[in-house]
Order: sequence, then C-alpha cells, then structure tokens
Amino acid sequence: MKLFWKTGEPYVLATGAALAIILVMSLALVGVVMSNGLGYFWPRALVKFELKDGTAALGQVTQREKNPINGTRRIQLKVANRDVFGQDFRWIDENDIASRSTPADAVLLERNENGNYFGFLRDVSAEGLTLAAATPYGKLQQGLKLVSDKQDETLKIKKQMSNLNNTAESLRLKLLKLEYRNREKNSAEIGEMTAAREKALAEFTLLNEQYTATQAGISRITARFSDAAGGSKEISLTEIVALQRPNSMSFFAKCGAYLERIRELLLDDPRESNTEGGLFPAIFGTVMMVLLMSIFSLPFGVIAAIYLREYARDGLMTRMVRIAVNNLAGVPSIVYGVFGLGFFVYGIGGSIDSLFFPERLPTPTFGTGGILWSSLTLALLTVPVVIVATEESLASIPKGIREGSLALGATKFQTLTKILLPMATPGIMTGLILSMARAAGEVAPLMIVGVVKLAPTLPFDTNFPFFHMDRKFMHLGFHIYDVGFQSPNVEAAKPMVFVTTMLLLAIVIIASSAAIYLRNRMRSKYTTSTF
Amino acid sequence: MVKKVIDKSRRNDRLAELLIRVGGLLVIVSVVWILVMISRVALPLFYPSSAKIAATVKLPAAIAAGTVLAIGSEESQRGVFTLDDTGTFHFLNVADGTVSASIKVPAVPEGAVRVASAEYTGKTLYNLLWDNGAITSVSVALSSVRNADGTVSLSHDVTGQDGLSLGASSGVVQSFARLVEDKGTVRIDRLAGDRLRVTHQLVEKDLLGNEKRSSASTDITDPLPGHLSAVAVDSKGHYLYGGTDTGWLLRWDISEPGQIRLLDSVSASEEHKGITSLALVLGDVSVAVGDAGGSLTTWFPVKVSGSGEDRRLTRIHTLRSTVGAVSRIIPSPRDKTLFSGDAGEIHVDHMTSERNLLTIKTAASVNRVALSPKGNTLAVLDGANSLTVWKMDIPHPEISFGTLFGKVWYEGYDKPEYSWQSSAANDDFEPKMSLVPLVFGTIKATICAMLFAVPLALLAALYTSQFMSPKLKGRVKPVVEIMAAIPSVVIGFLAGIWLAPLIDKSILTVFTSVVIVPFMLLITIFFWKRMKTASPLQRTARGHEFIAMALVVILGFYSAFLLSGLAEVHLFAGDFKQWLFSTLGVRYDQRNSIIIAIALGFAVIPIIFTIAEDAISNVPRNLTAASLALGASRWQTAWRVVLPSALPGVFSAVMIGFGRAIGETMIVLMATGNTPVMSWSLFNGLRSLSANIAVEIPEAPLNSSLYRVLFLSAVLLFIFTFIINTVAEALRQRFRKKYGRY
Repeated sequence: MKLFWKTGEPYVLATGAALAIILVMSLALVGVVMSNGLGYFWPRALVKFELKDGTAALGQVTQREKNPINGTRRIQLKVANRDVFGQDFRWIDENDIASRSTPADAVLLERNENGNYFGFLRDVSAEGLTLAAATPYGKLQQGLKLVSDKQDETLKIKKQMSNLNNTAESLRLKLLKLEYRNREKNSAEIGEMTAAREKALAEFTLLNEQYTATQAGISRITARFSDAAGGSKEISLTEIVALQRPNSMSFFAKCGAYLERIRELLLDDPRESNTEGGLFPAIFGTVMMVLLMSIFSLPFGVIAAIYLREYARDGLMTRMVRIAVNNLAGVPSIVYGVFGLGFFVYGIGGSIDSLFFPERLPTPTFGTGGILWSSLTLALLTVPVVIVATEESLASIPKGIREGSLALGATKFQTLTKILLPMATPGIMTGLILSMARAAGEVAPLMIVGVVKLAPTLPFDTNFPFFHMDRKFMHLGFHIYDVGFQSPNVEAAKPMVFVTTMLLLAIVIIASSAAIYLRNRMRSKYTTSTF
Repeated sequence: MVKKVIDKSRRNDRLAELLIRVGGLLVIVSVVWILVMISRVALPLFYPSSAKIAATVKLPAAIAAGTVLAIGSEESQRGVFTLDDTGTFHFLNVADGTVSASIKVPAVPEGAVRVASAEYTGKTLYNLLWDNGAITSVSVALSSVRNADGTVSLSHDVTGQDGLSLGASSGVVQSFARLVEDKGTVRIDRLAGDRLRVTHQLVEKDLLGNEKRSSASTDITDPLPGHLSAVAVDSKGHYLYGGTDTGWLLRWDISEPGQIRLLDSVSASEEHKGITSLALVLGDVSVAVGDAGGSLTTWFPVKVSGSGEDRRLTRIHTLRSTVGAVSRIIPSPRDKTLFSGDAGEIHVDHMTSERNLLTIKTAASVNRVALSPKGNTLAVLDGANSLTVWKMDIPHPEISFGTLFGKVWYEGYDKPEYSWQSSAANDDFEPKMSLVPLVFGTIKATICAMLFAVPLALLAALYTSQFMSPKLKGRVKPVVEIMAAIPSVVIGFLAGIWLAPLIDKSILTVFTSVVIVPFMLLITIFFWKRMKTASPLQRTARGHEFIAMALVVILGFYSAFLLSGLAEVHLFAGDFKQWLFSTLGVRYDQRNSIIIAIALGFAVIPIIFTIAEDAISNVPRNLTAASLALGASRWQTAWRVVLPSALPGVFSAVMIGFGRAIGETMIVLMATGNTPVMSWSLFNGLRSLSANIAVEIPEAPLNSSLYRVLFLSAVLLFIFTFIINTVAEALRQRFRKKYGRY
C-alpha cells in the first residue's frame, strides 16, 4: 500500500478526475442547452386537467418537481392565454387532479400579441364571406387562408408606404443640407424638393387610409374560442399567426410543424419584444458585422504576422511587438468597447458628423453606435487571433522552401506572395474562422458601440447606398442577454433564449471545429516533410 | 526589358517590406493608442479648475449713490444686475457698462419705502425685506438670447411672486421666509437682542374647498450659549440653524407650527471662535459653518449610539483654514461646491471631495458676491463700486483621489464608507463614486474563479500531457480548445438562468460534493490498487483512467445531491438558507459568488489548460526518458522532473487565466446581482469593474464625471491586465528560449 502511494498512482487518478470534471462540465453545458433548446419547437400535447375542486385547466406540462411547501409532487403547466389569466404558467398539485385527458379538438393559437392561446374553437364569423367547409375548424383554416391572401395585398401597400417614407426622409435630409449651406442661393431647388416631398407625403397619407380601411375590413373576420376555465374569447383572424391541434396531429405532421418553426426562427422577424417569432435580423446583423470585421482584421493580422515571422529580426523590437500582440489578446473586451465609444463613436464619428452632416446636428449620424464602429472595435479585438494562427502556419512551412525560392532569384516579396502565402492559406483561414467565432460570441463591447435590442431596419437594404454603416443592428449574443435578463417576462422568454443560445453555440462550435481541423491538417502536412 | 522587370520587382520588394514593417509596428501603435485614447477621456477628472475675469464694470454714479443690496449675473457673462434700496433692479451691459433697463419691483407692500435687505433663495428668486418688516418675493430673469442673425442680446424680466408675501412687522433685524409645501408660509425673524421668532401662516383646505387660515407665532426662548452671530434656514422651512459668537452651533426643528424644538447645541470650534456665517449646502442636508478663525466645516445630523432615533449634528468635512474670518458662504446652486469669502479672497471648495478648487483674489473690501443660476459665473462688487465678473471653469469638483479610492462620509451615512452609487432621480444627490467596492468585487470574483479553475486546469493539463494515451490526447485537446471558444454570454446565461436556480434549490450539494467526490475518489483508488499491476484490465486502463474517473465523478455528484437533501432535512431543519440567516446572520443571494466561481472558472479553465498543457508538453522528451530509465514512476517523473522544468510556462498560463478572469464582463454581469457590496461572503453577489462599465456607460452623459470615471476604470483594467500579460509573456519567452522548440 505504501509503495502504491509512493509511486504516485493515486495522484495520477486524481489528475484524471480533474480532467473528467472539466469534460463532464462541458458536456453538461452542451447537454443543457440542447435539451432545453431542441424541444421547444416540438408541438407538445395540450393536456386537460379536471381538478378536484371542479375547475379545469388546459396546457402543456413543462416540468414536474417536489412542492417545497408540502412535499407532494406538483406539475408546472403552461396555460398561456396571458390576456385572460394574467400569467403564462401555473402550478398544479398532483393530489388535486381528478382526471386528465388530451382532447383532440384542443387548439393552440400563436398570436401577434399576448403570447399563445390554448382553448377550443366554437365558431367562425365571417361577414360576407362564404366558407365552404363543414366543420368550424375547416372554416377557420379556410378563413385564415383568405385572410393571409388579403394580408399579402396589404403588405404590398405597406411596402409602397415604406418606399414613400424613405423617399420623403431622404428628401428631408437633402433639404436640410441645402438649407444649411445657403438658403437663398438654393431656393429654387429647395422649393422643388419641398413640393416633391409634400407630394410623397400626401401619397403616403392616401395609402395609409387605404391600408387602414383594408385592415379594418379583414379584422372583421373573427373566431370565437373558449378556454378550459369556461371563458370565451373573440379573436380576429389577423391576430392569428399559426394554428395547431397538437393532440390530433400525426408524428409526421408534428415533424412538419417543427420544420416550419425552424424556418420561422431563421427567416422571420421577432415578435412580442423578441420573445417569440424569428431571429432573422439578429442572425443577419451578426453575420454582416462579422464579415465587415474580417475585412478590417484579416489584412492587418496577416501583415503583422508576416512581419513577425518573415521580416523582423529577433531583437527588442520583435519582443515588443509580441508583447503588444499578447496584450491585444489579453486586454478585457469591455476596454475595447470603452475605447470604441471614446475613439470611434465620439471621436471619429463626431468629427464625421460635424464635417459632413452638420445640418443634421444635434441628431447624430455617425456620432452614435453603429455597425461600422462595432466591426472596427471587434476587428481590433480579434487581430491577435489572426496573427497567432497566421504566424503558426508560416512557421510550419519548412525553411528549405523559402531558401529554394530565394536561390532561384525570387525577391523576398515574390517568395511571400507566390510561395509562402498560398501554402499558409489553411492557417490563415483557421485564424479567420477563429476570429469570426470570437466576434460572433463577443457581446460586452458591442453593447457599448452599437447593438440594440430591436433594430427597425437592417444595415443592408434596397435603398441607396445599400450598406448603411451608420445603422444600429441586432446581434445573437446580445439577444441572449437582453431577452434572458432584461425582458419583463423572463419565464415565458426562457425557451426562446435557449433556442438562441443553441444557435449561437452551434455556430461557434462548428466554426472552431472547422478551424481546428484545418489547422491540424496543415500541421501534419508539413511536419511529416521535415527531418 | 529584363532589367525593367528586375527593377520593378526590386521596387515592389522594397515597398512591400516597408508596408509590412509599418503593419507590424501598427500593432504596438494600436496598443499604445488604446491606452492613450481612454486615458485622454479619463484625465480631465484631475484637471485643475480655473477662473478668469470676464469683465469689470464700474457702476454708474446713479446706482453707486444708493445702497446696492444684491447683485446677479448670467451664464454668458454678458449682463449683470444690481438691486438698490429703492427696490429697483438695474440691468447692465457688461461690455460697455451702460444701463439697459431699470425695473422697479412690481408690488411694493403698503407702508414700505425702502428695501432693508434681500435674500437670494435659489434659481431666480429673491426675498425682499422692507423697512417696515414686510416681505415680498420677486423673480429676476436675466439671460442671453441668440438672435436669428447670430448676434446675442440680453433679455430681462422682473416678476413678483404672489405665493410669498408677508405683512409688516417691527424690530426685525434679519428675516427669512419660506413656502411650506402647499400649506402656506413660514417666516423666521431675527429680532434685536438675540431673539428669534417663527411665524407659520397656514392655509388648509377641507374637502368642500373652504379655506381655513391659521397663524402661529412662537418666540424661541431656549437660552443661547453666547450671542447669536449667524442664522440660516433650509429651503423647505423645516430646520433653523443658528451660530453664536462663542462658537456654538444650534439647530431647531421648526416644521410643526407652534412646536419649536431645539434639536442640537454643539460647540463647533475648540477654541470657541465665533461663528461668522452659516449656509445650507445644496440638498439641505449639510450646513456649512465658517468661523472667525477662518475655518470652514460642514455638519449634518448623524445617528449617534445611545441616542436612539435622534440624530446629532456632527462635523463631517473640514474644508480649509485661512487667516481671516469667513465673512460669507455661498453654496453652489448646482452641486455641493461652496464659495466662501474672507478679506481679499474667495475660496471655492467642494464638500464631498474636500478639494480646494480655486482661490480667487478680490479687492480687500467686498460688498456683495453672487453666483449665476448655473454656478459658473461669479459676480463680485467691491468697496470701490467696481463690479467684477469671473468666468469659472470647474470641470469635475466631486472627483478626487480621496473620493475614488478612500472612505468618504456621504450625506445621510452614519460613518465614512466606500460606496458606489452614481446617480439618482434628484439633482441635489451626492454622487458616490468610490472605485473600491468595484475593485473589491473584481478581485473577489477573480479569486473565487481561480480557486475553482487553477487546480482543475493544471491537474487536467498534467494528466493530458503526461499520462493520457496519445490517441485520446488528439481528441481531448480539440474539445478543450472548442470549449475556449464558447461565448461568455452563453456561459453567463446558463449560470444566471439555469445554474443559479439549481444551486438555489440545493445549495448544500456544493458543500457535500466537496467532501463526497474526493471520498469517492479515495474508494476508487483503493479498488484500483487491488487490481494486479500487469493485468490486461490495468494495461488497457493505462492512459484512459479519466473515463473511469468521469463515472466516479458523476456518481459522486449524484450521491452528494442525495446526501444534501438528507442533511438539509436532518441538520438544518429543512431549510439551509433560513438556517444560514437565522443562525449565522448570512444573507443568501440567488446569484452569488459560488455561481461566479463556477461560471467564471469554467470560462478560464480552457485558457489555463491549453497554455499549461503546451508548456508541459514542450519539455524535451529526453528528460522524461532519462527519468523513467532511472526507475522513477510516471508520476514521479511528471511531478519531480517535468513539472519543475515547465514551471515558468505553467505560471504564465495561470497569469493569463487571471488576466482573463479580471476583465470578463458578461459572465459577471449575468451571474451576479451586480450589487456593489463589500463582503467576503460566498453567498453574496458582487459588482466588478467591467460589469459596472457595461451597466452604467449607456446611461452616462458624454463627458460627465460618471463617463470619465468609467473610462478611468477602463484604464485601471487595461493597466492591470497589461502588467499581468506582459509578465506572463516575458516568462513564456524565457521558457521558449530555454527549451527552444518554437
């Protein structure tokens, strides 16, 4: 026994246990995110509980646990109908349940406002519409289809309206500029523009009336529902986003609904202050910011790495550059945010505003957070990642290759561009991907320099000049923080945040796996060829 | 042709070299640039204040002939006004000294001829005491207006205030009048012979709208320790302060009509120097006391042990001492700055920071001094009837080294404390910007996280590099590297939303698992030993021990969870948190330091692991081989040979992890309650420097003190991490040189 301790085998086991704890923790993290995120979209059964006191409740069972007060088991039920019950969730003691059933005709409505509605369909009232279907449910489906067709028309009007709005806004800004420069000199032009703007605005008002009229027409089609507590509710079909009868859906129908929800998640706009609907603006914002960032960070990082590896002689200067690189990597990200705010936003942005857009002041154009400043800030933050990866890949290229090229009369620069860089491409790619993954997950600096919880417009659209660098944008990471911690109804928003987290985690893990794969391939490619 | 090509490529080569060198240097430049830019924003906090004479106006003979009772100025230093004893306001243009208007006070009370004195009561308001003892209130608006054509002109207006108008009274030396919130007025008269009289005139409305007027007049009969030398009343008319020529400071509660209570009577100076002036600091909590010896102190009531709920006036801040007596104290209408004058000088001090901001030299005899409503212009009228307008620039009076890093006795506190509370709804709030609780929070979070992460990461790194089978190592290392890429917002979210409620439900599990998991390990080790060394099972297990260990660990945690349930029921009466509070007096926050330790630790583990693993793996194989050949076991080799050689690298790994933990924002932001408390308790939350920046900077107005203090905390973070990273990098470079594989 003594010898066993002396050889230190127990300590080896202890070190193994440390590694085991780390791995278990990582797996737990991924597991928790997956189990909470994946199940959210699956159409879960609507269970009807008849309670012993004669009341009834309809909802989806979200969790079971021991009641901390009396020690019995209890069930957490998502009863939805926020506008009726006030809260989305309620606890039911298992002792109080008289019977439970899954009524086939229970309906789940996703609504534009007030979250979901669980209940039973009574009838559909469609003035002036003939709905052929026999059952109320069939009528409702038909009615929804009709309404959505009409909604498409109103959408067209809305699009025209937004175009007119854009025209009017750009005219307003031009007018401001002209007036600021010289009112008298440009009076003719100003008059012309004012007229054009007024025309656009008049058209806008006209369309708006048309829109309201159409909308009012559609919203007259309603359906009446009743909930488990016996109350009845009249809901306009325009409010209904989706309709399900989860209890009578087949497995494949459920799969279909699941895929539909995923499509909605990836491609639709958020609803209800981000707690429902899609993530499209956040995904788009993240991707665009990351791409914009790479444009700045990649050349800088690659050049710095080339300097360190190919041009610098070992000396004080190189050591200082290396220390600088490490500090760039080690300085807290929030400090970058503060720097970005002070330098980019108020410094450069403020100067741009006073030079080019003085007429709009005090409303800032570039002098406030935006996607350009965010990506510049993050570019600085991720440069070290690119430098380290590029340097490593340059280092792994055997010396003989350089010497061969130089011996054949190529200049250093030619060797670099024709031989070394092409060979180092996988390494550079690794750096690029890693930096993108880092940028996609970084939130703290972005909170200061340009991310918002809800951006009305994307930073890229069909209006000139297409890329709007001054606009604020949405970001997946910030979405998690904002919805998970700042939203008024955290409990109801939780599943959505888990889904967002899962998406972000998946992006980051896939990206870094790819980067590590590339790097390892590059390593093995060259290390085998050296002696 | 060939020469041309060669020339061209040589030129390109030189150009490229230049560009690349510049690019390399740009890295250094950007690090320095970051520091310079954030310091540039933070530095003005410590800039000295300045004052310069904007203009000097000789009062016209017509005005100088009378008695000037009050003067005033406005923000752009273009206009001033004077009030003479006939009740006429004269508005003067500073540029040429001409009188642009003379306006008589609109409502002169019956029987009054002259104005005896004028009291400035804030904003644009003056209370005028007439020679027959009547009081009226008047608003004087003087401001500069920018015209359409770009010129600036002055606008002025004098309007009477109906709310405050009190009838005649005789024998009045000095008088104060205040509006009592929707209820009427209170008038405090200082009568000849050290007497004080408080008169309430109340108007009460009953439900039907009938007005009931009542009046109560009380003479203060408390015996005074000396002769009354200065009197002050707060702006709501709740407290009356008096100072005597023997240096006693008195405070009466006058809020209840007919019931005047002497609350305090304290000696304000040890040498019994007479109090020469009294004034209330903005916010009406502190009273500033100036005495004949030239010392200026501020006082406010503090709860004293043994006196129950009663609060006693206590000396809080001692601002400065000068030779001459303090003849007047003028509180700034904007912040807690005090302007105090003695013969020939006006001192500007800030109460909270106790900073002497400025000393303005004036003529030896000063008649009147007044501040503009925003507190940036000072008008001084000297004995020679010459009016000087000073433009002052006092950038951040409330910030000093002492307020940032020392204990400060804030208004309403019972003792000096470190406190962070940057803003509140009201204007007269005293901002509390001590960075100490935030630095403390940062250090606490970092230490908690490092205690959790360092042992795990280093042991795991040792295992991975020394004992693990190479094939598995190729799989496990990437997993940990991917772990490093997990965004901190994800970790923070899980810690706040998933882990915190989980631990909240069964906090004891954390403690039982600290015992149970090692215990389970011991049992496993015991069984491990029973296995024959050369058995096939043992041989396959070599290099894969951690898989078995993973099972043990999971089992350990599960049994710890079961045990904690039992322990809670039997040892802590079913509720550990309640027990904590009632027995140990420890408050439990759901988002506490344990959560931080786990979450932040989890975030730095991969960093420490990767760098340490690299360092240990880079120790030359021949060292290991020699040790093993001499008969050392694999643990002995790893512990006594490999680890000491790799120590600099391992140390730098720990330091880099430390640097990360210090600056981590999102995890600390999401997994703590962000309360800036200073307690070492594991069950309390904290607020770190970085999270504080994230929370407060969106609300901080550009270039305000808060904005600059936040930049200052960023500078602190930068410098701190810079030192750590630089030392770590230097260590690493030395380590590389030694084993030079890189």
